[in-house]
Amino acid sequence: MHAFLKVSRLIDRMSEFLGRWVAWLVLAAVLLSAGNAIVRKVFNTSSNAMLELQWYFFSAIFLLCAGYTLLRNEHVRIDVVTGRFSARTQTWIDVLGTIFFLIPIVCIFIYLSWPVFVRTYTHGEISTNAGGLLIWPARVLVPIGFTFLLLQGISELIKRIAFLAGAGPDPVARHDVHAAEKELAEEIRRMAEEKK
Amino acid sequence: MEFIAANMAPIMFASLVIFLLLGYPVAFALAANGIFFGLIGIELGLLEPSLFQALPERLWGVMSNDTLLAVPFFTFMGLILERSGMAEDLLDTIGQLFGPLRGGLAFAVIFVGALLAATTGVVAASVISMGLISLPIMLRYGYDRRMASGVIAASGTLAQIIPPSLVLIIMADQLGKSVGDMYAGAFIPGIVLASLYALYTIGVAMFKPAWCPALPPEARKLREPSGSSGAPSVGVLFSFATAFAILFDRFYYVPKYPEAMLDERLVLAAGAGAVFALAAALINRTLKLGLLSKLAEQVVFVLIPPLGLIFLVLGTIFLGWATPTEGGAMGAAGALLMAVARRRLSIKLMRQAMDTTAKLSTFVVFILIGARVFSLTFYGVDGHKWVEHLLLDLPGGQVGFLIVVNILVFLLAFFLDFFELAFIVVPLLGPVAEKLGIDLIWFGVLLGVNMQTSFMHPPFGFALFYLRSVAPVREYIDKITQKRTAPVTTGQIYWGAIPFVCIQLVMVALLIAFPQMSLVYKSGQPELDTSKVKIELPTDQAPPDTADDILKDLQKGGGETKGEAPTDAPGSDKGKSAEDKAAEDIEKALKGGK
Repeated sequence: MHAFLKVSRLIDRMSEFLGRWVAWLVLAAVLLSAGNAIVRKVFNTSSNAMLELQWYFFSAIFLLCAGYTLLRNEHVRIDVVTGRFSARTQTWIDVLGTIFFLIPIVCIFIYLSWPVFVRTYTHGEISTNAGGLLIWPARVLVPIGFTFLLLQGISELIKRIAFLAGAGPDPVARHDVHAAEKELAEEIRRMAEEKK
Repeated sequence: MEFIAANMAPIMFASLVIFLLLGYPVAFALAANGIFFGLIGIELGLLEPSLFQALPERLWGVMSNDTLLAVPFFTFMGLILERSGMAEDLLDTIGQLFGPLRGGLAFAVIFVGALLAATTGVVAASVISMGLISLPIMLRYGYDRRMASGVIAASGTLAQIIPPSLVLIIMADQLGKSVGDMYAGAFIPGIVLASLYALYTIGVAMFKPAWCPALPPEARKLREPSGSSGAPSVGVLFSFATAFAILFDRFYYVPKYPEAMLDERLVLAAGAGAVFALAAALINRTLKLGLLSKLAEQVVFVLIPPLGLIFLVLGTIFLGWATPTEGGAMGAAGALLMAVARRRLSIKLMRQAMDTTAKLSTFVVFILIGARVFSLTFYGVDGHKWVEHLLLDLPGGQVGFLIVVNILVFLLAFFLDFFELAFIVVPLLGPVAEKLGIDLIWFGVLLGVNMQTSFMHPPFGFALFYLRSVAPVREYIDKITQKRTAPVTTGQIYWGAIPFVCIQLVMVALLIAFPQMSLVYKSGQPELDTSKVKIELPTDQAPPDTADDILKDLQKGGGETKGEAPTDAPGSDKGKSAEDKAAEDIEKALKGGK
């Protein structure tokens, strides 16, 4: 179990690192997209490559952050029913869900998307828009993103089994669902105090 | 076995409900359901073995979807804005402006709520700001606790329906309509809804004056040395600015660009009026002319940032300078600039906002991916025909359908949040609505207003939850009056929400009765601007995309793909001619659009 938990921690760190850095693409996409609109209005010209780059960034954000989002337990759940169950039961659901839902789907996506990437890469396919971008860099994001998601799934599985076996803490901070809103409230309160 | 084969769609749908209620992340439960039944369907010979080969193209369709790009932009913008202090300044000043009237603080909350809603599309932030800034003042001066919390929660949810809201963007995407049209269609209903809140407040002020007293004189901070309130000065300035806007439109803009469209003229005239007011306030302050009251000056200064942002987002979209997606990016960039100007931007805030945006975009898109996997199988086993069959047989034609669907969505909204409803339920309803001759923009706005209630109904409504987290839980001593003040109980928050949920339902009924409120979007139709050209590309102009082609080959008996959810067309590798055409159209629109 100990070795497994070590692997899980390693994966967590990797997802965390990836998520932190990929998040900067949000800013990049904002500036790029606003820039596109301004350039088009002011200089009356636009570049298909730049328009395509917008959604390359976007795809990179959600594909590469999929594992990170799983780590943070932020993929939305409907917990009206199961939210009332004990932490152990919920953990069991997560274990079974990861084995029977998450891992098979992720494997199917990796299996199916890899050949598409290879095809676009070997043929050097280029977007059909005039001045468009190479296609494979976007295509390769799919197998990469889903591989990270798979790894994170395995890590979550290890943590949950460890919890069920009594070898680790409850991996899900269950009472912290709205931490972000509380923090925001705290900050606004402080700002209001400062002004007085 | 035969039973399963014959009833595949209902069985699949029923098990989807069970899969979702398990509480495992929705995205994966949806996809697993699709794959599981896909395998069964293949085993039973209902579906071709190569069914899943279509998945990579479906995913590609989601990736290259320009409209969805607006999701991270508006989220990011909202996150930067909520910590910029703009909302708090607005609430303070507008509270001073309306506060001396009976029910005035409630008015201020509605007004600021609508203004924030037109700036951004996030509910949590405005409810929290109002709960922290306005609620204590309302409690201090004796507002009824139910009234105060109800009006705050309701005004916060206006962000859902007043453009530029994420709800409308996703609704447009799922119904295969242009975001620009959806915005235009939601505008009047959004304003009408805010006015209904205001009407309710007037009613309360008239019949239950004790529920919403006026601010006592000692609470009016922005006063003239002479002791007057300075409010008339605001009215005078407002009239002058309006007059200037009209003159600008009549004697400058229209003579210069005679064929300008109405929305373009409105945006520019409003801009001119705002610039006039700002100039007046600035001149008055620097030269110490004393022509304007302090209050008037302050009102202008707090209104300029949100109006500027509204111009950046909605103005550029309606002028045709930016696509709705780019409008979101402009707004986000504008919010960043404003935060810098107010010295509120820190590297920590930046990281936090990007981090939250990345996670939110990821989970939203993954629900969509899950829904696409689900629909691949569900449409393959003719699930859409089953749904159509169920809904087309409803008595009462259009109206019967709308009533049933709205009740259904209202009930579902107790359990599902907006994204799940939009990605799972809306694509099933859209084609049926279209078959009944219902305008999809109207339909989308209607569902948007309806889903707004999901933020408001006890006990799960998020707006109520946010308010709960900032409203006082224990008895406290008010800092200014030194009086013991009772807390706001959860029961009061719940009861306070109910009149407003009813108002929203009235609004749904009004919108069913008067579709014209949404259909005005058609008035500008002949002169499509760039945003519309660009956004319509995915659905109307694109040739059958690869995913659909493959699906067509796969489905037994040459199955119909017509009813397929209209979302995954854009940017597939074959989209060439359509994209080129769109580029040309943009060129044309830009050159001739003036």
